[in-house]
Amino acid sequence: MRRKQILAMAWGNMKLRRFRTSLTTLGVVIGITAIIGLASLGEGFRVTIKQQMEQGFELNVLTVMSGGLLTGVPSFFTDDDIQNISKIDGVILATPLIQKSDVKLFNDDKASTPLVMLAVNFSEFWTIYTDRLVFENGSLPQSIKNDTTVIGYNVQYYTENESFAYPGQNITIQMTLRRVPPPARRENFTFNLAGTIGKSGAAGFINFDDTVFVPIDTVRKLYNTSSSDMIFVRLANPSYSDVVAKKIEDRFGAEGQVRVLVPATFLEQVETILSMLQIFLTSIASIALLVAGLGIMNIMTVSVMERTREIGILKAIGARSRTILAIFLTEAAMIGLIGGAIGLPLGYAVAQVMGRFLFRFSAEVTPKRSIITGSSTHPLSEVSPILTPEWVVIAIVFAMGVSILFGWYPARKAAKLDPVKALRYE
Amino acid sequence: MSSALETRNIKRTYQMGKVTVAALRGVSLEIKEGDFVAILGPSGSGKSTLLHVLGGLDRPDGGEVLIDGISLYALNDNKLTDLRLQKIGFVFQFFNLLPRLTALRNVELPLTLANVSEQESVKKAGEMLELVGLGDRVTHRPTELSGGEQQRVAIARALINDPKIILADEPTGNLDTTTGGEIVRLMQRLNKEKRQTFVVVTHDPSVAENADRILFLKDGLIQGEKKGFGGMHH
Repeated sequence: MRRKQILAMAWGNMKLRRFRTSLTTLGVVIGITAIIGLASLGEGFRVTIKQQMEQGFELNVLTVMSGGLLTGVPSFFTDDDIQNISKIDGVILATPLIQKSDVKLFNDDKASTPLVMLAVNFSEFWTIYTDRLVFENGSLPQSIKNDTTVIGYNVQYYTENESFAYPGQNITIQMTLRRVPPPARRENFTFNLAGTIGKSGAAGFINFDDTVFVPIDTVRKLYNTSSSDMIFVRLANPSYSDVVAKKIEDRFGAEGQVRVLVPATFLEQVETILSMLQIFLTSIASIALLVAGLGIMNIMTVSVMERTREIGILKAIGARSRTILAIFLTEAAMIGLIGGAIGLPLGYAVAQVMGRFLFRFSAEVTPKRSIITGSSTHPLSEVSPILTPEWVVIAIVFAMGVSILFGWYPARKAAKLDPVKALRYE
Repeated sequence: MSSALETRNIKRTYQMGKVTVAALRGVSLEIKEGDFVAILGPSGSGKSTLLHVLGGLDRPDGGEVLIDGISLYALNDNKLTDLRLQKIGFVFQFFNLLPRLTALRNVELPLTLANVSEQESVKKAGEMLELVGLGDRVTHRPTELSGGEQQRVAIARALINDPKIILADEPTGNLDTTTGGEIVRLMQRLNKEKRQTFVVVTHDPSVAENADRILFLKDGLIQGEKKGFGGMHH
């Protein structure tokens, strides 16, 4: 039979039972809307998270911590360890870091509480984070003195709309010195503020905005130690990450002695989780499409019964079983195609609306600071859904596939009708 | 004259619940090309079953049906379907037109199934409707036509593929006497003009009497034969 005529017959039948066909098609529309809505929202969410995380991680910086606790055992690394790490191929720079959390800052009568005091080698540390640690006021002096200090954004603006201190001013840092034997005692030290940095966000577990930076040599002297808590390692190229991380771990012998935070790997893991989430959500949405498929099966079984006589006539005058099958499958495929074609833009539109409102709402109820996004500068307030060509193809193929699959049984039944019995059917 | 249709000892039984009904009990007949043959019998005599078996719609339990020398039931389903399309035209008691298609599209249907180009099939279907006297009803749907007109459309559809044989099952059974007479005369005219072979199954002697030959079917067997008025004019 001519293709055009098969199409015309299928279309004619759909038109004749307009209301019924519309309802069946609506099922497919809902299914595809759900799939595309969730898929494009999931894709947008994934890309947004990825971008924010890439901003939160320098891919060419590894953080070496001792094994065990979240941020490792303090005072684990010696200067020899740092020397050894800096000799590994692909490592440009390895620099130590000591972090202390029980500190307070004073500027005359003004007080500010940083979450953490980072003792670093200023020139090395700023070499690693040049792009991130940008000065809002002042700058890093040519020669670092024992009392040089730099404060983060949240420290500077601890009191809203009021600066804590200006470059050149002396500020007091109160440290809690733990001695053996205890008790610990609090002591005040005067530092000279070199500058304040703008909003910088977090790198791994450290949020630079809540930080006061001081020279590591000074802290080592005050705390009477020669070790450090973490090592920051800058690589020539992020692609060396895994190899260098492995070498560092090997250098410390027994397994679990140190942990190397590899941002690239971490990003990959997060991305894998987000992809799985996306697939999981779309799988659930697919159930809606399967239900639509059952609707098609139901409606076509009824249609075959109603058209039994017509099928008998066609077969009697010389229509092959295959032609009958084609007429019914074409009808099913067209329902799938139309449903998919409507559901596709509809799903994307729904995703747009949800992306705009759903995440805005959740941004208001969740805390501004999270360990994953680190930065408090860009809360996840909006997600732009992304519709990739792959999903367009998947949706249309899936819509037509499900329709044809569920249309197959009734179409087969029609094709196998005995013409004599079909002609007698009232 | 060669035979258009030949059967040898056809048997067909049905299972009706627990009862086995022997509808055809060994029918042998031969119909020559260009003949107009009526098969006359009371209801329940196996007329419709015979027509279905002759037309390749119903496999008999035994015997053979030859159309144009081809043994129908030796063919597989697809070949048999194709043969119906090429060599057999059906006319039914209840017209059996597709309700959604216009007269022209109904007549064109066999050509469509045979993959003839639309341009050619529309032209031929138009000519055929003209031939059965419905040149002005081309775009009408079955519901917009009278019974007689619908049967004319059905006859045009049966003839469109230029088949070897036309099989008509009570073609006047659903029409009043006057219209029925017109349909019989139309078929006879086409039989004469186009040298088309007709086999008409009926229970109505007034329909049968104008045929060339009349075969009497009773209890699933051909019980006799006589010449009709048509045959006497030869």
